[in-house]
Amino acid sequence: MDDNQTFEVENLSFWGKRRFVLLIILAIIISSVLVSVAMMMYDGSGAAQLDLSRPGYVDVRNRTVDSSGEFKNYSSSGTIDQKSIDEFKALYDEQASKTKTADAFKGDPLNPDAMGINTTP
Amino acid sequence: MKIPNKIPVICIALTVVLSGLVYLKVSAEASPAQISQIRNECSSLKNTLNQLHVSDALLRVNMGQRYELMSTKLMDRFNNRAASNNFKTEALSESANNYKSMLDIFRLDYKAYEEKMVLAIKIDCQSEPSVFYDALMSARSGRAQVYSDVVKLNQQIDDYRAAVSQFEKSYQAVGEKG
Repeated sequence: MDDNQTFEVENLSFWGKRRFVLLIILAIIISSVLVSVAMMMYDGSGAAQLDLSRPGYVDVRNRTVDSSGEFKNYSSSGTIDQKSIDEFKALYDEQASKTKTADAFKGDPLNPDAMGINTTP
Repeated sequence: MKIPNKIPVICIALTVVLSGLVYLKVSAEASPAQISQIRNECSSLKNTLNQLHVSDALLRVNMGQRYELMSTKLMDRFNNRAASNNFKTEALSESANNYKSMLDIFRLDYKAYEEKMVLAIKIDCQSEPSVFYDALMSARSGRAQVYSDVVKLNQQIDDYRAAVSQFEKSYQAVGEKG
């Protein structure tokens, strides 16, 4: 029995004898391809811009605001009557006002004047 | 047809000269005084850019979430409720879709701005001040585009509210007739 097994191993091809090494190489290649695809999706989808766990964002990581609790759930089912319309208008106006008040990205901080590199008299 | 031997040489020479002119035009945007100032203030400028980069990322996360919730928790829900009650919701849907399209544009423009900002931060302003200045101006225009998107998103929020008011008028008119 043992003699037969030894004989079979000796008859195996080069890669047949190195199946375990081949398995590891293939696993590394496949995982590298999958990681590359994942990184492309992460970068291309804009998810990277929302990821504050990246290095350099430690200081602001705790300053994210979870607004989902602020938005009261307006039921997507039920009848439509004046009361339900008024309820929606009140909820919408409250959140619209908060959203518009923030006026994000206003100003021009990259202006040469603001950056202190406008040396024109 | 035989092509004269000189034509490829002339084409290459013209390409080199025009590329040089384009380079000069781009780098001419920063004055010598500004280039000198960029070299002197290099580390301070990099600090300012880094701080703005981080604070804008936070703003993007917080505002992006808020814009998303306006759509998913309010607009979509009201549209679904109105549609399930067999009301005409074309105007509401159109307005909500316009808002979503604008939100997609905002996401893309912010991504483009962030990439420009990262590029500017990576440039060595000591050795390449004019390239740094160009990258800075590119990031500036990217940020202006993001703000323009925010203004349009706010306008879309108002437009949806106007569509709701119109819907309410139609509802009341049907009620009076009924």
